[in-house]
Amino acid sequence: MVNFLTNILILGVPFSVALLLAGLGEMFNQRAGVFNLGCEGIMAMGAFLAFMPPYFLAGSMPAGMANLVGILVAMAAGALMGLVFALVTVTFRAPQGIAGIGLHMLGWGTAGTLFRHFVGGVTGVPGIQTLPIPFLSGIPFLGPVLFNHNPLVYLAFLLVPAAWYLLFKTPWGLKVRSVGTYPRAADTMGINVNRVRYQALALGGAMAGLAGAYLSLAQAKMFADDLVAGRGFIAVALVYFGRWHPVGILGGALLFSLAQSLQLSIQVAGIDFPYEFAVMLPYVLVIVVLALSGKSKMASPTDLGKPYNREQRV
Amino acid sequence: MKKVFMALMAVAVLVGAVYGAPKAKVRIALIIESTVDDKGWGQAMHDAIMAVQKKYGAALVEYNYSEKMKPVDAGSAARQYASRGFDIVIAHGAQFKNLVLELCEEFPKTTFSFGTNAEIGPKNVFTYMPMSEETGYVNGIIAGMVTKTNVIGIVGPVDAGDSARFNRGFILGVKAVNPKADIKVAFTGSFADYVKAAELAHTQVKANADVLTGAAQQATGALRAVAEYKDKPIWWVGQDTLQITMPEGFKVIAAASYDYSAVIEVMIDKRQAGVLGGESIPLSFTNKGFVFKYNDKVGAVLTAAIRKAADKALADITTGKLKIDWAPVKY
Repeated sequence: MVNFLTNILILGVPFSVALLLAGLGEMFNQRAGVFNLGCEGIMAMGAFLAFMPPYFLAGSMPAGMANLVGILVAMAAGALMGLVFALVTVTFRAPQGIAGIGLHMLGWGTAGTLFRHFVGGVTGVPGIQTLPIPFLSGIPFLGPVLFNHNPLVYLAFLLVPAAWYLLFKTPWGLKVRSVGTYPRAADTMGINVNRVRYQALALGGAMAGLAGAYLSLAQAKMFADDLVAGRGFIAVALVYFGRWHPVGILGGALLFSLAQSLQLSIQVAGIDFPYEFAVMLPYVLVIVVLALSGKSKMASPTDLGKPYNREQRV
Repeated sequence: MKKVFMALMAVAVLVGAVYGAPKAKVRIALIIESTVDDKGWGQAMHDAIMAVQKKYGAALVEYNYSEKMKPVDAGSAARQYASRGFDIVIAHGAQFKNLVLELCEEFPKTTFSFGTNAEIGPKNVFTYMPMSEETGYVNGIIAGMVTKTNVIGIVGPVDAGDSARFNRGFILGVKAVNPKADIKVAFTGSFADYVKAAELAHTQVKANADVLTGAAQQATGALRAVAEYKDKPIWWVGQDTLQITMPEGFKVIAAASYDYSAVIEVMIDKRQAGVLGGESIPLSFTNKGFVFKYNDKVGAVLTAAIRKAADKALADITTGKLKIDWAPVKY
């Protein structure tokens, strides 16, 4: 029984990383007043672009360097897609929902098309290997659960306090929160609302790109058309689940991935439970918790989803 | 061994004699939800049509395909092919059943086909059904003899269609050589979620499984996960021979593949004889619907005894001596 539970935790922690990274990025978007449903498409592009350097540069540069190049390219492309989304929704004030779906289709389609053109069929790369942390990885129970993963897992968990600090303890974080809550007041105080929203969307895009890179380089170590498989949309839902707070998003990502790990382990253990219900478990759990946490004190950014026009009378 | 070889040759000659070149040009269209290079479901059918086209020449067999067709989009593609005069329109997937049954009435002179499905359709609809319990059984023999931990894992997509038959045949194969083996069956709930398939494969390995298998295109994700245990004796037996040639092939002991050429050739033959449908075409070792390959580069894990046992099972299935009663298997 102890082994069963330990294995659920060991597997659940790395499963959560893509959701956590994308969720933290989406949190910055939404805190600035813009929800980006294109997160899934950015993740697809990130997964594809991160995959390309290790695939093509294998043998001509160290694998670690090729992975790093892939990650940086994925983040840069994610930031660029975030800026494109900002141009459409912040400058041109297009409806954010429709624009997000468009960005999703653009990223998903472009990644798949370019992959088939340059690579062809489904194939893998060595990817990012596990990096056990000396001494800590040897601690019974905690070692394998927390300190025996690939470097992106550690990075993702370190980004939680970093995101909290950035959002709640820096002037830029205050600007982000103010343009998402009451942009007119922020504008009156001399804050350039559009610029802050552009910056937040670029940051959110970069983190979605990193989440995609995690999927292709660390989790699956391969690329295929449908690699992201809805995880971008789950990340958007987790921001609501986490009440727009980094710790809440971490909790949501862990809850989802541990439920995922639990349902897979239940099936493998041969427990007599219909698998159709088992695979639904993580999604049902998130919906239930989301419904029950509706009256949490942490309210949503009040201007979420509304384009800002300083010329418009309130 | 000589008897087995002779029996196989006799079956091969019989099967090979069935098909002849088309008497007139045949236009074939393929509609798939994935892509023609997915190293799985879609590619198997595409490769088969290409092989038939290569065999008879592009002048006799014209071929077009449409990829990434969701059932809602596939209807318009199928309608276009039918109205442009294509003779055979193959909607490759059970999810296309409704649209085929709808269109076949509107285009009575067009042959439609979909699978996997064993039902007898209308008079201008062929269905096809891989008897995947056969490939599962042979793979199961190998897995049952290879395992050291006595724990074997199946990474399934959903428990339906040919995947359900494969799993049950696999279990029967394992039990035939290793009754004490513990076979852990689990599903991702998706045919194409590579990441989840990898997660499930890792879960199986954590539960002590040392031989894994799985069907559908998602299996590539599971195989990729198995390949991460580079220096550990964790192995894979596959449901697509292309897996042997992949970079992860060093983990693949053997694999089977669908060869839909037999289905395509039967449809061409029947159509030219005036039969536009109304039949279900099985895919089996007997009609060369399956290909089975060992990975000769896998090393000492593939012993002569394993090859002998798998060869015998293969021969017995092919000659009809061994019937696999897969349906009652519960897991």
